[in-house]
Amino acid sequence: MTTPAITVRQLRKTYSYGRRAPGWRGILSSETVTLDAVAGVDFEVARGERVAIIGPNGAGKSTTLKMLSGVLEPTGGSAEVLGLTPWRARQALAYRIGVVFGQRSQLWAELPARDSFRLLRRVYDQEAASFERRLGELTERFGLAEILNQPVGRMSLGQRMRCEITASLLHGPELLFLDEPTIGLDVTAKAAIRDFVRDHARDHGQTVLLTSHDTRDIELVCERVIVVNRGRIVVDQPTDQLRKRFLGRKVITLQSAGAAIAVDLPGVTTRPSQAHTTILEVDTRQVRVEQVIAAALAAGGIEDVTIEDPPMEEVIHDIYAAVG
Amino acid sequence: MRLVRLYFEEVAAAIRCAFADRANFAIQVGGMLLNNGVFLALWWMFFAGFRSVGGWGLADMALMLGLMMTLFGLCGVLLGGYRDLAATILRGEIDAILTQPTGVLPRLLARESSATAWGDIVGGLVVLTLFAHLGWRDLPAVALALVCGMAVFASAGIAFASLAFWAAGARSFARDLTDFTLLFSSYPGSIYRGAVKVVAFTVLPAGFVVMLPVKLVRAPGWESAGLVVLGAALYMALACGLFDLGLRRYRRGASSAG
Amino acid sequence: MTSTPLSVEAVRAPSFARTLAAMGAALRVGVGQTAAAWPVLGGRCLFYALIMVVLSALWDRVAAERVAGAIAVPGDLAVYVGVTEWITLSIPALHLKLEDEIRGGLLEPHLLRPKPYFALAFAQGFGAALVRLAALGVTGLVLLEVSGRAAPPPSALGFILVLGLLGVACGMLLYALAGLMAFWARRTLPFQLVIQKLMFLMGGLFAPVSLYPGWLRQASEASPFAAHLYWAGAQAIAPSAAMFARGLAWQVAWIVLLTLACLALWRAGLAKVLRRGGV
Repeated sequence: MTTPAITVRQLRKTYSYGRRAPGWRGILSSETVTLDAVAGVDFEVARGERVAIIGPNGAGKSTTLKMLSGVLEPTGGSAEVLGLTPWRARQALAYRIGVVFGQRSQLWAELPARDSFRLLRRVYDQEAASFERRLGELTERFGLAEILNQPVGRMSLGQRMRCEITASLLHGPELLFLDEPTIGLDVTAKAAIRDFVRDHARDHGQTVLLTSHDTRDIELVCERVIVVNRGRIVVDQPTDQLRKRFLGRKVITLQSAGAAIAVDLPGVTTRPSQAHTTILEVDTRQVRVEQVIAAALAAGGIEDVTIEDPPMEEVIHDIYAAVG
Repeated sequence: MRLVRLYFEEVAAAIRCAFADRANFAIQVGGMLLNNGVFLALWWMFFAGFRSVGGWGLADMALMLGLMMTLFGLCGVLLGGYRDLAATILRGEIDAILTQPTGVLPRLLARESSATAWGDIVGGLVVLTLFAHLGWRDLPAVALALVCGMAVFASAGIAFASLAFWAAGARSFARDLTDFTLLFSSYPGSIYRGAVKVVAFTVLPAGFVVMLPVKLVRAPGWESAGLVVLGAALYMALACGLFDLGLRRYRRGASSAG
Repeated sequence: MTSTPLSVEAVRAPSFARTLAAMGAALRVGVGQTAAAWPVLGGRCLFYALIMVVLSALWDRVAAERVAGAIAVPGDLAVYVGVTEWITLSIPALHLKLEDEIRGGLLEPHLLRPKPYFALAFAQGFGAALVRLAALGVTGLVLLEVSGRAAPPPSALGFILVLGLLGVACGMLLYALAGLMAFWARRTLPFQLVIQKLMFLMGGLFAPVSLYPGWLRQASEASPFAAHLYWAGAQAIAPSAAMFARGLAWQVAWIVLLTLACLALWRAGLAKVLRRGGV
């Protein structure tokens, strides 16, 4: 067995800040408040594994990712990433990892993407030949040829995101950190990014650690899920198992002219809602979506149907409810 | 009358916004005072060395700088919206105001009130009282000079910004023109000759913003007062006319803005 | 599962040379960005021309009238101001970029890269300055020709070019100090204003510091603000190799000192960000 790509032991981060009392008293005194953003987590990620970290806002996902990429010093505990301690060897580690922040651009908005990539070649000390080869390969697989000479600031969000991911892969990182890579994208753009990240990582044996609010990102890209809440790990298991337990649900919303529609099938529960609207929660392990739709249509009077995955917050809520 | 009240209520709201972040407000005002102080110190050193230029001494320069700072500050506080009017037009923010029953231009001007402008007002008044050699008898002339200078300066800003109704690139151009007017208005009026003087009394109306008003304060008379008032009236008419023309174009949908 | 392991393709040569190569690339980016925004560049040239019209009018009037008791004008001050304004208007707003990125939490993407952020930001800014120096320099020479003034001798132009380039570096480092204060202060405007005003006064933006009273002249000459403006401007009115050497020595000394000061501020600020995860 080779050494893992990431080993984390009792990693902690505590923020402390002064809170001032309101009014004039606040000018004279302030009390120090501490917040445990990450409260001692342990996990390992094997080389070539693709792992998702999920949790509600403020659960400590981003803080963990920052510490593992070396831009934040922990309060306690240890971590080893590719054999290095990230916060002590930030620059050495930087050559070997790629990072994408979904909500932050790392490219130069006024410049064509190609110029940003060329600057990054110098930043990562890459040989011209290997750089051109990789850029060619990524351009082809990611369909960038047409936008390569466009200023990043004038691209659509989907185009920009593809360029961001390309930028983080050009220097051939062994490990890829993705923080909300599909946030704000439309369905097609999301699909393109998921397929690309998964296939690229699989073909190159690349390790991936991602955070997301979109359950599809996790299902389609990652083999394993770590759920965190209030700075602690709540669940750590393969995606397959998690899907069976929590992700096998759909929410069907029916609009009808008349009264609410009753669908009486196993695995279907009706949620309370307004008049003319029926919300059904479907357990896809027990019943197929098309069966539910057929039953509803048979009842008659339907004007509109939407089928959705339950939002991440609900899935997480279910998980918390299950683990207590 | 209703319009005037509405206008002052809007300005008051904008001023409260500028005051909201007190530390920031203090820093901006302090920075502006420092800025103006150093500028005055430079001129003080200049006149200590060279005594006079084109018949102007330190007191005349102080009068001019004091008028400029004060009227620039008053414009920033009372008509703050003039500063980025071109951007407001280009972003199509006029639409919301067009749906309301009151005048468009006053509403646009009253939208914003600059914090740094208070530094200019305080600095300007200090310079006027301490260095400009003014007496109580000069007060009416100074007041007239300030009001007319303000009208010309703001009118020039509005006219420049109205170009945004015709050309999308007018935003930085309008700001540059306003800065150029400010630049022309910050040096002794006596140094300009020939073509430069023509520019100072037309496109970049520094002549009407400060130079003539300085003359009015130093040698009050019906003629100079008439010229100052006439200049202000002309520029105001020009600015309103240009804005109105642009607004009509905008309503027809022919404008580049929106 | 197929697996073609990715390796670090970089050859880790002496890291200083590698950093210089990356700075070179960043400089080219700065050149490209500034050249691409040519309307802005044109506006700056126009501003330069206008301010020169005003300031030449001022100094020509002063030179033309000999007021009793006034100090003598040492040569054509319009050309002197032409040089100091050339440098002043070439400086990019490095302090605003630093403030934006530090305060806006935009440092992280840069910290995730193996090259020092400050060096790259400075190089990129210097690239922008080079384009402006060239465009404004041409504008200045055209103005000189049109106005029919006596141009400085060619050797002096060479001196002005060298001192001008280093003067821009001094000015950028001074503004960088203000920008780096963003690690501790929400707004860097006050620091920037203080530095700018000292540039006007002690740097001799509008008139050579040699006209100042004794003590102020000496203090100004030894200051980083004179290294930024005065020494290059002085070559326009009284070109001499000795003055050039003196100016060059002051500039090199101040560039070293200011660089050290910037690096110290950067280290301290970075330590804060790494510990607290933000400013």
